[in-house]
Amino acid sequence: MEQIRNDIVDYLKANSFMDNNSSLNDNDSLTQKGIIDSIGLLELMDYICEKYSIEIPEDLLTPENFDSLQGITNMITKLAK
Amino acid sequence: MQITEEMSMNILEELNGNIGSIALKLRDFIRDQVTSFKKKGVVIGVSGGIDSAVVLTLCVQELGKENVHGLLLPEEESAPSSKILGAVICESLGVSYEEVPISPILRSLNIYDKKERIIKRACPEYDARIHKTSLVLPDFLNQGLLNVPYIRLIKNGETVGKYRLKATDYLELIGLQGVKQRSRMLVQYMYAETMNYAVCGTTNKTELVLGQFVKYGDGGVDLEPLADCYKTQVYALGKYLDVNEEIMRRPPSADTWSHYTTDEEFYWRMPIQIMDQLLYAQEHRLPLQVIEKSTGLSSETIEKTQRHINRIRDTTEYVRATPSVCYINR
Repeated sequence: MEQIRNDIVDYLKANSFMDNNSSLNDNDSLTQKGIIDSIGLLELMDYICEKYSIEIPEDLLTPENFDSLQGITNMITKLAK
Repeated sequence: MQITEEMSMNILEELNGNIGSIALKLRDFIRDQVTSFKKKGVVIGVSGGIDSAVVLTLCVQELGKENVHGLLLPEEESAPSSKILGAVICESLGVSYEEVPISPILRSLNIYDKKERIIKRACPEYDARIHKTSLVLPDFLNQGLLNVPYIRLIKNGETVGKYRLKATDYLELIGLQGVKQRSRMLVQYMYAETMNYAVCGTTNKTELVLGQFVKYGDGGVDLEPLADCYKTQVYALGKYLDVNEEIMRRPPSADTWSHYTTDEEFYWRMPIQIMDQLLYAQEHRLPLQVIEKSTGLSSETIEKTQRHINRIRDTTEYVRATPSVCYINR
């Protein structure tokens, strides 16, 4: 799980509006902190699907699964099993 | 408003109230704007929908039918009913109108071919000979799902496939689709400048707040009479102005996909009466209890939906923004 979390942080640092020097807590809201917007969210989904070779079912496309590092990491862990 | 009065208010009743005085105010606005621009009249893109029907009617009432020119601007993927209803409203009001298809502009930019290629890439089973297509977002109110766009394939009126779009495909599609509204804008200005008229827009407040218009497309106009009226109020105005029943009943749509895609399916993701009540409640900072009573939604759903609306409002700031200027002497 730690590896997945680090992958996502690296992705966000390289591809989102996240400041390279700022820290991100596991439950911080990515949208409320202005790190990703609706397009950034689609790009993140594409990255996750490709990186972990998974398909994300429609019913998992919820704010709870995508708006925080914790939610994203949990979802990938579940789907990549 | 007194607190007790506020607690017993019904938001839909508020939205449907004072329609006569709103109509008069809008007419004054139209007159003042056209006069201040030193223009002789207005050109209006008539889509066959409720917004343009209401604007056209108000402009005719205020400026006279001889000072209003309607433009029907269909393209290959427009619903046939759009230009039929557009012509009906122009004829019923006695205004001059013309049909100027924008398909040649779109073809010259390969818009249709490029769109086909994206759809084919996203939906392997897509066959242009048998499928119609639409771009939809999942329902928000009942499922609470994210703003993730899907292409839907429709065969003989039935949905036969649904495919999530990749970000790059979505961005390209939005760019291609925007050419439709932007082509309409340039045709409207070609006519307006020839006639020394202004271009009158039809964007309502729901669309404005949600960024539900194309920057320099349908948003590229000289005046926006409806931009402080929620869609629900536009319907009330339509009823008050006796707009054609078929236009009143027609589900609102940007009408840019081969399968008629409603605004509820792509933009609002909930019934318009709910969306407008929530927008009105936010604007007037109404207490949760009033919203619960008016909408019938639970407090949890209201809070979740208001966060969703706030996200849309934030992410569409760019669409509403006018060009930024660097003032060198300030």
